[in-house]
Amino acid sequence: MIELNHVTFRYKGISEGGVYDLSLKIRKGEVILLCGASGCGKTTAARLINGLIPHYYKGELTGNVTVNGRDIAQTELYDLAGVVGTVFQNPRSQFFAIDTDGEMTFGAENIGMPPKEILARKNTVASEMQIEKLLDRSIFGLSGGEKQIIACAGINVLSPDIIVLDEPSSNLDCEAIGKLRGIIAQWKSQGKTIVIAEHRLYFLRELADRMLILENGRITKELNAAEIQALTAADTEKLGIRPITSPPILYSPHNSDMKNDVLTLENFRFTYKDGKHGINIPKLELPLNRIIAITGHNGAGKSTLARNICGLERKCKGIMKLNGKSLKAKDRLKCCYMIMQDVNHQLFTESVRDEVMLSMTDKSLREEQKAQKADAILAQLDLTEYADKHPMALSGGQKQRTAIASGIASSKPILIFDEPTSGLDLAHMNQVAEQLKRLRDIGKTVFVVTHDTELILACCDEMIRLENGNVEEICSLAHDEA
Amino acid sequence: MKALKLDPRTKLFMIFAVSFIVMVNAVTPLEWAVRIAVTAIPILLLAAEGRYISAIRFTVCYGAALALMRFWLSAESTGVLSAILIGYCGIVVQFMPAMIMAWYVIRTTKIGEFMSAMQKMHIPDGISISLAVVMRFFPTIKEEYAYINDAMRMRGISFGGGRCTKMIEYRLVPLMFSCLNIGEELSAAAVTRGLGAPVKRTSTVQLRLGAADIAMTGFFAASMMLFVFAKYIR
Repeated sequence: MIELNHVTFRYKGISEGGVYDLSLKIRKGEVILLCGASGCGKTTAARLINGLIPHYYKGELTGNVTVNGRDIAQTELYDLAGVVGTVFQNPRSQFFAIDTDGEMTFGAENIGMPPKEILARKNTVASEMQIEKLLDRSIFGLSGGEKQIIACAGINVLSPDIIVLDEPSSNLDCEAIGKLRGIIAQWKSQGKTIVIAEHRLYFLRELADRMLILENGRITKELNAAEIQALTAADTEKLGIRPITSPPILYSPHNSDMKNDVLTLENFRFTYKDGKHGINIPKLELPLNRIIAITGHNGAGKSTLARNICGLERKCKGIMKLNGKSLKAKDRLKCCYMIMQDVNHQLFTESVRDEVMLSMTDKSLREEQKAQKADAILAQLDLTEYADKHPMALSGGQKQRTAIASGIASSKPILIFDEPTSGLDLAHMNQVAEQLKRLRDIGKTVFVVTHDTELILACCDEMIRLENGNVEEICSLAHDEA
Repeated sequence: MKALKLDPRTKLFMIFAVSFIVMVNAVTPLEWAVRIAVTAIPILLLAAEGRYISAIRFTVCYGAALALMRFWLSAESTGVLSAILIGYCGIVVQFMPAMIMAWYVIRTTKIGEFMSAMQKMHIPDGISISLAVVMRFFPTIKEEYAYINDAMRMRGISFGGGRCTKMIEYRLVPLMFSCLNIGEELSAAAVTRGLGAPVKRTSTVQLRLGAADIAMTGFFAASMMLFVFAKYIR
């Protein structure tokens, strides 16, 4: 069905992420899981199959890829549209239409299917997937999980035999991942051939027929279904991949040994313009100098709470009490710093050092002193060698560390992370966990908005679980080391 | 209230007509009457979309601008204050109505409807796809811009540390980078779903001209004719 024959590919101008002498045969109806660290070539392998390489992403290609007997290099992308369907990582940028109906029919319209047939298919797909309530909505009003479901629905309207998923779960919570799992299971039962490049593996444990682990563009290990199911946490750690089972979070009820300093949120009420989403927290006491996870489903109010703690919503009348001071939204902007999910939004200057210096608002410091301080912070975060580089030229993880460095430089006591590990592999996730711990050790209070259970287990001390904007649960996490 | 539903073709004609009438120089009372009547439509559309406060605010600004132009300013006005006021009146009277129309069209037109309308007007797919991408991008730019603004407020550099050029640079550089990234991913996703196939694109959207379309088209066609007649023929 799909055959890669001694394929070597290098991206133009980029040394990372290529594949070398990759040979792979995928039979009809198989579910193949590609995993490995970032830059190992799994996304490249996915792109070789859906034709984005060589037709969209340019580079040096040798060897050949055949799908359904067709040579991909000789087949135009539009001829593949009905044969290979693709679900991408970022739900924000894979939609062409701005309404859900238009999005579902988009592919079928492009290849010139008769309108009556498209509409009939759309309705069948919607009722099969039970997504009638998502029809006729604006894309911008959907949660990440809903967007990913619409992307799958768009593929179902075209009904290709082969489906490629490139890190589809990166931005999803547990519930949405469960739904995605259901859709993949359905595709499998329909006999579709499925190729998934992923970091998070637990939801694919029973579905995958074969798992290929890539390293530096080569397949280093191949596991069959039985071997996948037999993997233990120790095995996956040795292989450098995320666990295949979802480990339980051990916690004790909030052990309020709050004799130390506390931070109090009072009267945090905020509703968005749509009148539905928001938060409602009358009072919440949290310990200082801890790593506090904020979890909950997509749309439960995690990001809203983070934005309000940060003081970004002017309308919020909530008060934060910190060291005996009452802080309104405007004051909180001065003592909180958020590392956003997409750090590209918060890097402004022409070099990493400037970026860090920009955060130092202390007027008494001279430029040289600032530069000295900045270099010290950069050294802490292993960024010294990049000090003169343009922030946009860095990798995702380096950008994130630059943003953290600016946060430290601002000498604000509270740092907030919004989904810092979405789309990260095991090694990078552990790196983030280490960084969070280091921030705690230098005395910061760290909030982490996340649905990455593995990250919570790796570093968080407290956990707040939100549901419909209310605090559902607050607990302390048990650590082995503690 | 049931939302007003207009055909994309009518909307395009409305943008054209409003822009023409408000931007071409008006001199005589008749020309002014036509211009003011035409400006009422974007205001009503704002209200129809539930933006009552914006509608009232614009009406007040518009009224103020008209009063200024009628009683205060003339072609002979000099001085800095007059220059600023002339600028203000020009923007409110000659640009804002067209801007509001464009906002309305982008807000209420689905990409599918737009593509279908362009096809009915026999516009080549290449042009309609490019225009559709531009339309698709406006809400994205707005979203991205909001994030960047938040980040700047958090770092206390909303005003660029006092330097005007920085204020603009800090906003535009990240905005351009994220739009470039999104654009690249967006087109990769679109081509895997057959965008650009040489077959004739079909459309599930059935466009029909309704009573509202006929009324709007009639109103604007009449206004245009009256305006052109008043300006160039009489």
